[in-house]
Amino acid sequence: MLLSVRERGETVATLRWIHVRLMETIASWVPTTPEMEVKLLFGAHVWDLAQHADTLGKRTQELRMPAQHSLLPVDAYQTLLGELGRVQDARHRMAYFYDGILVALASRYRRYLDRTDALLDAPTVRILDYLTREQARMVSESRDVWNHLALATGIDRDPIEHFLARESTIEPFVVHRATDARA
Amino acid sequence: MDFDPLDTIEIRGVRLRRDPAREQCFVVAHHETEVQSARDYSSVTAVRSMLHREYNNETQNAEIAAQTIVDFPDAPWDLRMQLARQCWDETRHARMFLRRVVELGGRKGESPIKNGDWAVVGMIDNLPGRLLVQHRLFEGGVIDSFRQVAQGFRDSGDARTAEIYDVILADEIQHVRFANHWLRHFSHEPRAVMQMASALTFAAGALRKLAPLPGDRSIDGIDLASIDHRISINVEDRIRAGFTEAEVADLEEKDSASQS
Repeated sequence: MLLSVRERGETVATLRWIHVRLMETIASWVPTTPEMEVKLLFGAHVWDLAQHADTLGKRTQELRMPAQHSLLPVDAYQTLLGELGRVQDARHRMAYFYDGILVALASRYRRYLDRTDALLDAPTVRILDYLTREQARMVSESRDVWNHLALATGIDRDPIEHFLARESTIEPFVVHRATDARA
Repeated sequence: MDFDPLDTIEIRGVRLRRDPAREQCFVVAHHETEVQSARDYSSVTAVRSMLHREYNNETQNAEIAAQTIVDFPDAPWDLRMQLARQCWDETRHARMFLRRVVELGGRKGESPIKNGDWAVVGMIDNLPGRLLVQHRLFEGGVIDSFRQVAQGFRDSGDARTAEIYDVILADEIQHVRFANHWLRHFSHEPRAVMQMASALTFAAGALRKLAPLPGDRSIDGIDLASIDHRISINVEDRIRAGFTEAEVADLEEKDSASQS
C-alpha cells in the first residue's frame, strides 16, 4: 500500500527529530570524550547531522507541515536513543553510533524506499539517497579513526549486535497522526 | 543552569568550569604560570609550543560550540545550525595545527595545555552571554591576533604556518559574524541585555583575577607581567565580522589609549 502525504510527512518529521537528537548526542560527547581524534570526529559529524536534520526539515514544509517540524518517535525508540546518549567509553560510543544507529537508520531508509513511490515521493527519495551516502561516508571516516587508534582491539561486539536487533524490532517507529512536536 | 560543585574548580579565587576530557598524554594546566609562553618565530621549539597550544584552543572552541548546542536546545534552529558548522570548522582547525606540530617534529601532548576559554565560558548559563563572551570577545580578539601572528610567521619565512593562521582567520570571521547577528537580535530583549551585561562582568572579572602578577613566570621562564599584549585592531576583518564602524573606532581608541 502506498504512503499518503500525511504518512510521508510524519515519517520525515520523525526522522528529523531523530537526527536532531543524534546531533545533540554526539555534541554532548565532544567535551566528554578524552581521545582527541574521536572527539574531533564527533565534532565534525555534529555538522553533518545538523545538515541532515535541516534537509529533512525543509521537506516537512513540502508535506503540509511547518518547516523544520519534528515529531517524537514511539517510546521504545526514544528509550533506545536515551540509552545511546548515556554510553560513556569512547570505543563504545564509536561502536554504538557508527556500527549501531547509523547502520540501523540506513536499513530504515531502505525499508521506506521500498514502500514509497519513487515518482510520487521523489524529493523524499532524493533526500534518503543523500542521507544514505553521507552517513556511509561518516561510517567510513569512523573506520579511519578506529584503524588509526587501534580502538577496536578487544571490544565485545555482542552488545552492538543486540542493539541492532533491538532497533530493528521497533516497528513502526513513527507515531502516526501525532501532534507532539519539539526541536 | 546550576553547576554541580564537582563541575567547577577554583583558580586564584575565580570559580571556573572544570576541564573538558583530555587524554592521559596531556598535562592540563590552569594558569599561565604552568604553560610555555615564548613567542619566538625563529625557534622551532617555541613555534611547536605555540601551535600545540592553538591545537588545544581550537579543540576547546569545538567543545564550547558543541556544549552550547546541548545546553540550549530551544535556540533558533538557524543559530544551532551555525554552531554546528562552527563545531566542524574548529575540529578542522585543531587538525591543521596538530598536523603542523607533527611536521615540525612534535607530537600530541608534548607541552602543557590550558582550557581557559572553556573554563570561563562554561560558567555562563545563558545563550546571549555565552555568544557575547565566546564569540564577540574571545573570537573577536582572535581576528586581531591571528592576522598579527600570520604576519610574524610570514616575516620569519614560514609561509606554510602563516597560511594556516590565515585560513583559520577567514573561518573565525564567519563565527563572529553570526554571533554579532544574533546578539543584535537578542539586544531587543531586556532580559537578554541583562544576561549579556552580567556575562561580560563575570568574564572581565575572571580575566582580571587570572592576569599574571608581578613575578609570575611561565614554565619556560618568561616574565608574564612584562609581556606586551598590544595587538593592532584588524579593522577590515572586524567589519567583515559584523562590527559597526563605530564599534571598531571605539576598539581602536581603546587600543591607542593602551599604547600611549
